[in-house]
Amino acid sequence: MNAASPPSAEVSHRSQAAGQQPPQPLLKVENLKVHFPFARGPIWNRHRGVVRAVDGVSFEVYQGETLGLVGESGCGKSTTARAILNLVPPTAGHVYLNGQRIDGLDDQAMLPYRRQIQMIFQDPFASLNPRMTVGAIISEPMKIFGLGSEYDRRLEVLRLMELVGLNPRFLNRYPHEFSGGQRQRIGIARALAVQPKLILCDEPVSALDVSIQAQVINLLMELQQRLGLAYVFIAHDLSVVRHISHRVGVMYLGRIVELATAEELYARPRHPYTQALLSAVPIPDPAKERKRQRQVLRGDVPSPDREYPGCSFADRCPWVEPRCTQSPPPLEGTPHPAACFVANDPQSPRGK
Amino acid sequence: MLLEVEDLRVSFQTDHGLVRAVDGISFSLDQGETLGIVGESGSGKSVTNLAILGLIPTPPGRIESGRASFRGRDLLKLPRRELQKIRGDRIAMIFQDPMTSLNPFLTIAQQLTEVTMLHRGWKYKRALDHAVEMLERVGIPGAGRRVNDYPYQFSGGMRQRVMIAMALSCQPDLLIADEPTTALDVTIQAQILELIQQLQKEEGTAVILITHDLGVVANVCRRVNVMYAGRFVEEADVDSLFAQPRHPYTLGLLNSLPRLDEQRGARLDPIAGQPPDLTNIPPGCVFHPRCPFRIDRCPQEVPALTERIDNRRYACFVDVEHQARVAVKEN
Repeated sequence: MNAASPPSAEVSHRSQAAGQQPPQPLLKVENLKVHFPFARGPIWNRHRGVVRAVDGVSFEVYQGETLGLVGESGCGKSTTARAILNLVPPTAGHVYLNGQRIDGLDDQAMLPYRRQIQMIFQDPFASLNPRMTVGAIISEPMKIFGLGSEYDRRLEVLRLMELVGLNPRFLNRYPHEFSGGQRQRIGIARALAVQPKLILCDEPVSALDVSIQAQVINLLMELQQRLGLAYVFIAHDLSVVRHISHRVGVMYLGRIVELATAEELYARPRHPYTQALLSAVPIPDPAKERKRQRQVLRGDVPSPDREYPGCSFADRCPWVEPRCTQSPPPLEGTPHPAACFVANDPQSPRGK
Repeated sequence: MLLEVEDLRVSFQTDHGLVRAVDGISFSLDQGETLGIVGESGSGKSVTNLAILGLIPTPPGRIESGRASFRGRDLLKLPRRELQKIRGDRIAMIFQDPMTSLNPFLTIAQQLTEVTMLHRGWKYKRALDHAVEMLERVGIPGAGRRVNDYPYQFSGGMRQRVMIAMALSCQPDLLIADEPTTALDVTIQAQILELIQQLQKEEGTAVILITHDLGVVANVCRRVNVMYAGRFVEEADVDSLFAQPRHPYTLGLLNSLPRLDEQRGARLDPIAGQPPDLTNIPPGCVFHPRCPFRIDRCPQEVPALTERIDNRRYACFVDVEHQARVAVKEN
């Protein structure tokens, strides 16, 4: 499946090296920030602050490619996706779709762009209206965008149901009559209804059992090949992300700390957080498990309502040095950038 | 033998009919042993253990039959008071969600001292000292101070540590951990699994680990039972199970996992179809409608979980390993 993958990051890097005009990214996110202000305490002693849910995230997604975003809960992966669609207004930064700036647009102006970017949600139970039939759910986006006649839409719904592996006979059934995996297929069909170029998948398989999860992953990968879709695939499961993504960004406290092709990132992680994260994933093979040196991180994921003068990972980092707490490390190094002073230091034995 | 469960059957009366959540399972556990029970949602893993602890709400639940003998006493027949003496003292449990299993209105001190005051008859002062000591052992920094905090002041991982401290307060013989790390992030999961294993080594506690995560099983358990639709379909030591799964369901589970240690981009091989509706369990082998190795006998006869020719225990008529090899050749 991989061999036939459409122009992925690897290709784009190669063409840049050859000095050609690089292809235009489908989606470009530039220094995106989403801060949520909050107030705590009684009125006479109010403490105000901001939660830096997303704090300067930049990446590009090319046509037909899957960009994975991994990280632990609260690292800002989902907020990033929502901010791209302007579902939460970004505090700073820009989002470009095919070179057009789309951040800060009002709902009316945003509408044509929403047709090109669709979303699949984590919870297949909460993201479908229980009072609508499957047919109505899948045809609703087409109705909103005024696509086709009533009759055309009906035919299209049947075609979509077939495409995602749902029996078209179930057209008039309600969501509660379906299992979790089937509901996720309904969500996928709904996202495909307006022929988007990009789908933001927010933990699309996390609520599913392993055997069903594999069915949905295969479906997403097949659809990508057939329709040339691009995905931003958000998940906390590192094995799933590695399987489906061409490139992967690792997020920690609102920032991307490392970004590379999936092979490269998993084979040679550079950032100490990525290394710890990978070593924490249990491998379903007891013989390998016993041989593994597990690097257990101290402490919890810190709260994003604090401001960090330096690297936000510093107080859990096994490599921490004095410079780490002074200024935030930039995401540096080509073709495999990492946001770590030590990893980027050619003098350091770890800096490779 | 510390715990011996025999032919346990639990059902629930629902609007859609009788749900056979646990349909005749047997297993045993030695002192200090770690047993894994793996299965997908609705397979009956949690119900099994709630039944052992007498925590099934009746009605709608009903224990149809079975025996669960713990140190020679049948837990399923014990009067409530007797059972309460065992629960929390000799058998302790940790649940999936550390958010909902602690009382949000009580301080950690109040919740941790309750166990020892009740079971050991200790005075508050002594129980509190012990509680602080337990918190230190499970790695909560500043335990003496934090013992007066409320649950909301702790993170998810820290709450699960508190639960473990509470569970181990009376040095139980058996710890039942029901998806103890499912709600936690991977780096925190690694911490908690390490802690459980370390404490188990020190105390010699037997552990039943219930999980859906095959990676966690490979990491922690010695012996594993694979559960599907209320029945055990395979029982094996962890190495044989992962190296040579014998039941088609186990094989299917392993094949549908994307794995960090394998070549990227290969197509996943999911199990076809959906798990069965428990109000309407298929005749014969429960797995036969989804099974790629199905033979004529499967829908007619229930395969027993017994020792087969190859000294392995699985509930299947087919020699899966042989069949899989044939399938590879044909491709």
